[in-house]
Amino acid sequence: MVSDSITNASIPSIPNSKDFAKKKRTNRSAKLKQCKLDARREQWLSQGAVKSKGCKDGLGDDRKERDRALENSRQREEDNNNDRSIHHESDSESPSNSPVNSLLSGGGTDSATNFGGSSGSSSSSGSSVCGSSTGGCCSGSITEEEEEDGCLDDWEAVADALAADDDNNNNKTEVEHDNPCYQSPSESQLSVQSDSLHDLTSEFGLDSVNSMPDSARVGYNMRAWRPDDAFRPQTLPNLAKQRSFPASDRRFVPGGVPWTCNNVLTVPSSCPICCEELDFTDSNFLPCLCGFRLCLFCHKRILEEDGRCPGCRKPYKRDEIESEASVQGGSLTFRLARSCSMIARS
Amino acid sequence: MATVNGYQSNTPVASPTATTATKQSVNPVKTVDSQSVLKRLQSELMALMMSGDSGISAFPEEDNIFSWKGTIHGSKDTVFEGTEYKLSLYFPNDYPFKPPKVKFETGCFHPNVDVYGNICLDILQDKWSSAYDVRTILISIQSLLGEPNISSPLNSQAAQLWCNQEEYRKMVEKLYKPPSARIEGV
Repeated sequence: MVSDSITNASIPSIPNSKDFAKKKRTNRSAKLKQCKLDARREQWLSQGAVKSKGCKDGLGDDRKERDRALENSRQREEDNNNDRSIHHESDSESPSNSPVNSLLSGGGTDSATNFGGSSGSSSSSGSSVCGSSTGGCCSGSITEEEEEDGCLDDWEAVADALAADDDNNNNKTEVEHDNPCYQSPSESQLSVQSDSLHDLTSEFGLDSVNSMPDSARVGYNMRAWRPDDAFRPQTLPNLAKQRSFPASDRRFVPGGVPWTCNNVLTVPSSCPICCEELDFTDSNFLPCLCGFRLCLFCHKRILEEDGRCPGCRKPYKRDEIESEASVQGGSLTFRLARSCSMIARS
Repeated sequence: MATVNGYQSNTPVASPTATTATKQSVNPVKTVDSQSVLKRLQSELMALMMSGDSGISAFPEEDNIFSWKGTIHGSKDTVFEGTEYKLSLYFPNDYPFKPPKVKFETGCFHPNVDVYGNICLDILQDKWSSAYDVRTILISIQSLLGEPNISSPLNSQAAQLWCNQEEYRKMVEKLYKPPSARIEGV
């Protein structure tokens, strides 16, 4: 990962770039709003540590930092003329080669040396791996609460508040916003090249990351804010949206308890005794604790004869019947009666 | 309607709402009752044919859905293995609140079946439940073949012989008349 010495080196460049970074962030938020929904779904999909702040703050930062890392590794590779550059080319075709690995290795000491050589501000890009990733972790819990409150719309406020909260981290990351300006032409070209690689990483990042215990944190964070990335290809957000639909469904299942209950209640669509369809009242009628359902008419008929439940042969309880008959009109009150009878039983 | 009202008076709080009231206005007539039996039997027939249970089958007689003919094959690893028995099922008008009358049409040497084919099976008498249907009846009788209730036999000779399975098997084979052969014999 990133060593402390690199992080320290990045700090001096913060004050200059801070204001500019905020402006940039404001502009960026407009773009962010478009893919906000996608981001939320994606965030819901991805777990705790990677949250919206990462998307907001770390979006450009970490992306760039990752690009940077890739660039660095690329630069280094090109400089060294070693085989790994070829390996990277093949990465774009076979993404399963875990570009994250090379990315991570490149993001560490390599990038630090490269950027330290090129310019002071861009040298902080190496450190931002540490800064923004920790920032993402911190903000993760906060924005999670925001999500539950349903006020995710206020992204900028959240981001600003977070920026105020963890100044150190953000100071480092904000520098990142300036980095495009400081990018040398060769770097930008490289970033374009690395974009494809990088996106492939995003697709397969999770899988490859899962197998990496130590470096998984950074790789995981990377994945989370990818859908928010303004430079992201249009195809990927759609993919994320589709992928996250089941997740959103799952999310609403707890709220949809009535639906589940309803499903259970209407399991028999017809009365097992007379084979007539159960109407709404019938389907909410549970005369016996054994759970055997039948229509009201058959129930009445059985009461006239032996008064035993067809499902368990136990005699129907009179008081139970009364309580339920009194609330036949509404399923809700019926369920109350049912639960009461269950309590009485236990 | 009188019985309905009587029932309501027995359960003071019970004041059926609109939905039940409409139901009751339709149902008390006797013809509707038999119509609901008809529906039930048709539904049972459908379920039986769709279930694909091996060793049991039943079908209504030509013009009367209240009278069915069923067949049961002796289960594997029992003394009745390889045998096939024909049964008749008569459904009362108040079926399924009352059990159908089930008889062996084929002679069956069994502790709980008498010489007339009457079956002594609790679920066909006091243990009947309206939740039972033709399929469960036939399955119950099929399992009764291999697991008789020796303590209350209709056929005491069969009950005594049951402990000697080899002899019992010989007796079953000796007395067994395949349904088709029986018809030829008659």
